[in-house]
Amino acid sequence: MPPALDLLNLPDADVVALAQQGRETAFRELIRRYERPVFSLIYRMVRDRELAEDLAQDTFIKVLNHIDRYRPEFKLSSWLFKIANNVAIDHLRRRQLDTISMDGSPHAQTADAIEATSFDVVVDQESALDELEAREMGTAIERAIASLRPEYRSCIMLRHVEGRSYEEIAATLDLPLGTVKTYIHRARHELRRALEHLREDSG
Amino acid sequence: MNHRHLLPDEIDLLLDDDEVGFGATPLKAHIRDCVDCRARVDEARMIVAELEDLPHFAPSYNFANRVMAQVPVFVPWHVTARQTIAQFIPQSRSARIAVAGLATAVASVLTVGLLWISTQTDVLVVASGAAGSQMRGLIFDAGRVVLSTVVGDQMFAAIQRTGQVGIVAALLGLAAAAGGSIAGLRALAIASSRRRA
Repeated sequence: MPPALDLLNLPDADVVALAQQGRETAFRELIRRYERPVFSLIYRMVRDRELAEDLAQDTFIKVLNHIDRYRPEFKLSSWLFKIANNVAIDHLRRRQLDTISMDGSPHAQTADAIEATSFDVVVDQESALDELEAREMGTAIERAIASLRPEYRSCIMLRHVEGRSYEEIAATLDLPLGTVKTYIHRARHELRRALEHLREDSG
Repeated sequence: MNHRHLLPDEIDLLLDDDEVGFGATPLKAHIRDCVDCRARVDEARMIVAELEDLPHFAPSYNFANRVMAQVPVFVPWHVTARQTIAQFIPQSRSARIAVAGLATAVASVLTVGLLWISTQTDVLVVASGAAGSQMRGLIFDAGRVVLSTVVGDQMFAAIQRTGQVGIVAALLGLAAAAGGSIAGLRALAIASSRRRA
């Protein structure tokens, strides 16, 4: 029987090495460390809790089933975010959800166009979970993020929510560094524009 | 004072503390003097701060269990072997030294014995000849048992009538069929796991 280890204080690479040796506790520790960041990234991409859980589950299953292929020179978190982003983008492409927004098309230029492309969701008996979901995703900044193109969304979240450098984001998303910078600059610009009305209201 | 207001890209440049280079110095100088641009940079920084303060959402409490239900955990053979050997290694230092001494003594005796045997050519020839014929006999007996089990006694008797060549050919055919089956099953398992992934 292998001795018990304090997995909490081990770096990712060591926990992965233990997982590669077939220790279930190491697999669980990796899930514990990254379930929230991975789930949050996917949730903000697809904006549906149940679906986000399924996609986050797929992400972990893909990574943990191939843990023997992990290369220590690459950050585990980058690998996880890469798979999570691919899973979410694939889903959005399949469902073409990126063109549907409750707040109207992101390409609409005028107030009339925004109104014409927006829709209201009327739910008579909102469950407690739905209410919670609406509340947690309902802040202005969350709504502004949701109106971004999916590529911008993943870049801006990796940059500012996960605190990754431009180089790490480029490696994670398999994008050229210049493209990542452009996406983040455009995303910030769109966020500023989307949140401008709040400043005007409070000003 | 430079009266050209900052462009959106220039405001953006000031938001990345870890990316700011020498090009930012005149921009910083400008926002010190220009109230409008300072307000715009402050507003942009506020949005970045809000983004950085966004919370992580938690999946449902059972998430880890649901993931682990679909992740088969294998202990690789080399880890199993190491753990098995580790079970036989004593915990205390003195016991470990005693076991190491005993193992060294046994290894030394075996080495000396093997060296002595290797110098006795006639003994080696006789012994290897006897071992070879013994091994051949064992292989043929095992082959006969396998063949008679697989093809049945009557078929085996028919093969046996063709002599040693027939038995060897039948064994090779059997091995090829077994190899093909294993390869086919492996390909099926890989395709299935890829579909699952």
